[in-house]
Amino acid sequence: MFKRTLLIYCCLLMLFLLAPSIIVIVSSFGADAVTQFPPRSFSLRWYENALSQPIFLQAAKNSAWLAAVATGIATPIALAASVALVRSRFPGRDALQSLLLAPLVVPAIVTGLAILVTLSAFGLRDVTTRLVGAHVVIVLPYLVRTITVSLTQIDSSLEECARTLGARGLTAFWYVTLPLIRPGIVAGMLFSFILSFDNVSASLFLTNVRTNTLPLAMLNYVEFNFDPSLAAISTMVLVFALGGAVLVERVVGLKRVVGG
Amino acid sequence: MHHHARFLLLIPAVLVLVCFLVLPLGFLVRHSFYLSELGQSPKGAATLANYAELFGDRFYVLIIFKTIWMSLLITATALLAGYPLAYFLWRSVDRWRGVLMVIVLAPLIVSIVVSAYGWTILLGNTGLVNQLLLGLGLIATPLKLMHTDLAIMIGLTHVVLPFTVLSVFASLERIDPFVREAAQTLGAKDWRVFLHVVLPLSLPGIVSGTTLAFSVSVASYVAPAVLGGSGPNFISTMIYHQLITLMNWPLGSALAAVLMVVALGLVFAYLRFWSLFGGVAFHGRTAEAR
Repeated sequence: MFKRTLLIYCCLLMLFLLAPSIIVIVSSFGADAVTQFPPRSFSLRWYENALSQPIFLQAAKNSAWLAAVATGIATPIALAASVALVRSRFPGRDALQSLLLAPLVVPAIVTGLAILVTLSAFGLRDVTTRLVGAHVVIVLPYLVRTITVSLTQIDSSLEECARTLGARGLTAFWYVTLPLIRPGIVAGMLFSFILSFDNVSASLFLTNVRTNTLPLAMLNYVEFNFDPSLAAISTMVLVFALGGAVLVERVVGLKRVVGG
Repeated sequence: MHHHARFLLLIPAVLVLVCFLVLPLGFLVRHSFYLSELGQSPKGAATLANYAELFGDRFYVLIIFKTIWMSLLITATALLAGYPLAYFLWRSVDRWRGVLMVIVLAPLIVSIVVSAYGWTILLGNTGLVNQLLLGLGLIATPLKLMHTDLAIMIGLTHVVLPFTVLSVFASLERIDPFVREAAQTLGAKDWRVFLHVVLPLSLPGIVSGTTLAFSVSVASYVAPAVLGGSGPNFISTMIYHQLITLMNWPLGSALAAVLMVVALGLVFAYLRFWSLFGGVAFHGRTAEAR
């Protein structure tokens, strides 16, 4: 009795968790000019419409570029920091560890605003610099966490062995440790890419009319338009994000990235 | 590289965080103590005028309290609704875990803009919920669900549920299976095993899950902006309004400082409370002794 109640309840709750995604996906195939659920008739015209809108295409390109660059910059920084945190003891280590995780607790909208105010005060109004800076900060703690976990799980004596056998420090790291923690790094990078690609709060004050990110372009669009082209764009973003998530789950398990 | 020089590897990370987080936050706080022209850099002497304006106006004070109150409500809902799912996940077979995990994490994986848009379609006047209620004859005219506090509640509970579910699940997984079996062998009924063994041992997960849920909710922007009523109704949407519509950077900065203090301060106080009064709960092993 209890088991069945629990099962039914959990199925309903999971339906709730999936509801917005299902609604968006199904209504993206609607033919009407106003988003409807369920749609009265089906067509692919809103995909065509969405893909012919330069605002979305340019914003998608910007977001992909930003996510790739932020992840590319943050990964080696996080890797170096994780090695230092896991493999050595020094005074102030705990304080530095807290600093590395600080971007998780500071509201992203505050981080974005702070970067805007500061860079403007120094006369730096370049959109690219401030967006990349903000996104590196946002993704850094997630990368540090996944890489740190991977590093603590491997046997550090393996690298010591290589060194005893005559390998120089960096060589030993490159050929022994790095391959062992590669799954963790890859998962962290994928997650970081998705996180940056989807970010709204940190970018909110940092974009301008010419340089926009996809989530912000979508947010603007949802305020004034109600046609299914947004649903079409959303579905494409969703498929891409879910694909990434499944990949992360396959490689190391999502639980480790999100933590608990 | 030498063993004792390894801490030098932290330099790039520290540099990035100092340049793009620590210094900017300091600047932001400083900014909030000055007055300035529209979109200009602050001038003149330091003043408390922005904070006086903020806390002297019922409108702002109400928004601050509403943000905190709704976030508390959302956190409690997410914990109560999510706990059974975490329990279910814990008891489920390994084969299904991967799929279940992706479903639980869906709100985090799917862009929050997409989710908010989904709720817009579902909760609108001609949306599925109203269609169903009208069809069943429960209501005569469509209910106003969109652009209400209820819509914000639904949207944000959806966003923070993964945090409570996963945190509780993680702490359930750390429970030694023998502890449960021992209680059962000694004749405890299922609900007593849950109440006296499982629930206390999952307390660390409850604490970390609610902490995460509250911090995410209190700082959220998209859900209140898209699903809430017209005009600012969360601290974050108020910051946006000050910055973009009114171009009042100092007041926006003061609000951002308040948001940071609220988010960090309440979380810190909450965790402090648990370590003082529920300290044992953080070490799963010793909790059994109670």
